[in-house]
Amino acid sequence: MANSNLPRRIIKETQRLLSEPAPGISASPSEENMRYFNVMILGPTQSPYEGGVFKLELFLPEEYPMAAPKLGRICLDILKDKWSPALQIRTVLLSIQALLSAPNPDDPLSDNIAKHWKSNEAEAVETAKEWTRLYASGA
Amino acid sequence: MDSEDGVHDTNDLESVDDDFYSGGTGSGTEEGEGDYDFVENDSDESDDAVSHRHQNYLILSEADIRQHQEEDINRISQVLSIPKVDACILLRHYKWSVSKVHDAWFADEESVRKAVGLLEKPIEMPKARELTCGICFEDYSHNKMSSAACGHPFCDTCWRGYIGTSISDGPGCLMLRCPDPTCGAAVGQDMINALVSGEDKVKYSRYLLRSYIEDNRKTKWCPAPGCEFAVDFVMGSGNYDVSCKCSYSFCWNCTEEAHRPVDCGTVAKWILKNSAESENMNWILANSKPCPKCKRPIEKNQGCMHITCTPPCKFEFCWLCLGPWSDHGERTGGFYACNRYEAAKQEGVYDETERRREMAKNSLERYTHYYERWATNQSSRQKALSDLQNMQAVQLEKLSDKQSQPESQLKFITEAWLQIVECRRVLKWTYAYGFYLPENEYAKRTFFEYLQGEAESGLERLHQCAEKELQVFIDNEGPSKEFNDFRTKLAGLTSVTRNYFENLVQALETGLRDVGSCNQLPPSNKASSSSSLHVTNTSGGKARVRTVYRPGGPSHSSDDSSHWSCDRCTYVNVNSINVCQMCSYRR
Repeated sequence: MANSNLPRRIIKETQRLLSEPAPGISASPSEENMRYFNVMILGPTQSPYEGGVFKLELFLPEEYPMAAPKLGRICLDILKDKWSPALQIRTVLLSIQALLSAPNPDDPLSDNIAKHWKSNEAEAVETAKEWTRLYASGA
Repeated sequence: MDSEDGVHDTNDLESVDDDFYSGGTGSGTEEGEGDYDFVENDSDESDDAVSHRHQNYLILSEADIRQHQEEDINRISQVLSIPKVDACILLRHYKWSVSKVHDAWFADEESVRKAVGLLEKPIEMPKARELTCGICFEDYSHNKMSSAACGHPFCDTCWRGYIGTSISDGPGCLMLRCPDPTCGAAVGQDMINALVSGEDKVKYSRYLLRSYIEDNRKTKWCPAPGCEFAVDFVMGSGNYDVSCKCSYSFCWNCTEEAHRPVDCGTVAKWILKNSAESENMNWILANSKPCPKCKRPIEKNQGCMHITCTPPCKFEFCWLCLGPWSDHGERTGGFYACNRYEAAKQEGVYDETERRREMAKNSLERYTHYYERWATNQSSRQKALSDLQNMQAVQLEKLSDKQSQPESQLKFITEAWLQIVECRRVLKWTYAYGFYLPENEYAKRTFFEYLQGEAESGLERLHQCAEKELQVFIDNEGPSKEFNDFRTKLAGLTSVTRNYFENLVQALETGLRDVGSCNQLPPSNKASSSSSLHVTNTSGGKARVRTVYRPGGPSHSSDDSSHWSCDRCTYVNVNSINVCQMCSYRR
């Protein structure tokens, strides 16, 4: 395993994530691979996602922190061209949490949902609440 | 073929055109002082083949580029009283426009500083003996840490990684900022040079050099593969043709190869069309044609279109139309008409007919006609280019020995070949021009084809002289008396062909706009020297362009009653002749 020569930075970040977790966020490294994190983010209060638990997988590539962590298909500038090695796992996860509070329909993963959101926000919010209840609360 | 006739014809053209300049029609100066630059530059025409053209661009070597860049940086640094590193960052931000930097800076220095990331006063790193690196979280002593002007400390190892990653990501490294996401302080070349490996330093400096050419509106790289020259172009000077020092000619506007007289839009259309249909064309053109007489396949491996089949056949024919060569040229009464698509179609007596029948679509057939001639001139040009190189590398020395002539006296041969290369290029593009010339503009088409035919036959004459007639003198055992005559002939043909093509380019660029308009007064004529020809480059009054086409004949006054206008091509002929001098149409 690559765990044997894990950079000090990753060890320190991991320790801090475990000892002082950000509110509503939990990130714990996998036992087999310390670069692989299981993440859970709670739906922010007063958002349609309130009460939901959202699971993510985060991976720190070999070049980390010179390269950004890998986090699935999330359109977030700091995961792309705005990445800086002075950013951390914690800052990335906080940004994702903020995105749940204020979705950005101008940069969507799903066109249909973005259209729905822009044409009838109230209805889209209801759908989001419904889906949060159906798919994100059982965990 | 009777080349002398042609020489006279075109010589007349030359004098007719000149008249217009000296004759004071008044329209010549409408476009301003620029016209006169041509005259001044013309005075040393003899220098080399291109010096007589007005140069509206500058070819820059890498050393030139670095020098210009350095000068600009120094200027900004002095005028704004800022360090050179900062001046460099500023200039890059404003695409290397010194005037834009001045304008923006003196309008609002503070917001410029903010946008670019230049702090007015540098902030020192915290004074502590040990500092924590914001990237690797390790603690280091103060002297192992560095920061941009903002004072955010990072260890030198992390800086190296940060800058190195950015450099391998591309030219974005020129806009590098402090790693701290809340800070926008610029990271300049001084930090790069202090912190990274030699290899990365070289890469960074390369990007900086490229940026000076690529981000600047006035400059571009020469598009020839492997060429490292750049071109600084004076905007608004009309003609986009650029001849790089690497000998590649290209259009500054669209960076395709030089394509006068065709405009950039047409070239783009044509190239797109060729790429879409090239598979077809490759199949059709498959490198060889059967001899029209004995049917043996023939591969063309010499430059000109005059093909002589190997013995015993020895049939001489034109590579383009596969017609007998005896049908071509002045002596037979007709003119070289290989450009004539319509005629070729009707002739159909050659082997072409069968092949053409296979082609289902008429449009493809028409395209094939133009493409084939376009491509043939292209490969002829390539061949001429390599012949020219061979000439310069081997043959001239040989010739110099055989004919006891110093090589300096053989420059006329190089010039002839340079002219052939240039003419093949122009001729090539006239086929794209012809393809897009509307079918219904009959007078224009006829006239265009006449001009193209003349150009083609003039060039064939020159090409033949420079290739076949020259060979005789190279093969000769000793000096030959006729060599001086040959010199006169080749130099004459070169100059005549050059003039004809320059006028052709002008005429096509103005869209043959005189054709079809009636009641044109014929020009008044006087003789003058060829050097003022270029004066007409940027003007283009109606009458003067028109005269360019005139194949010769007596000079005449502008008295209407002594002339008749051809019904077919509108050319104005003198009354004493009943056949149009332009298109041979009877009165």
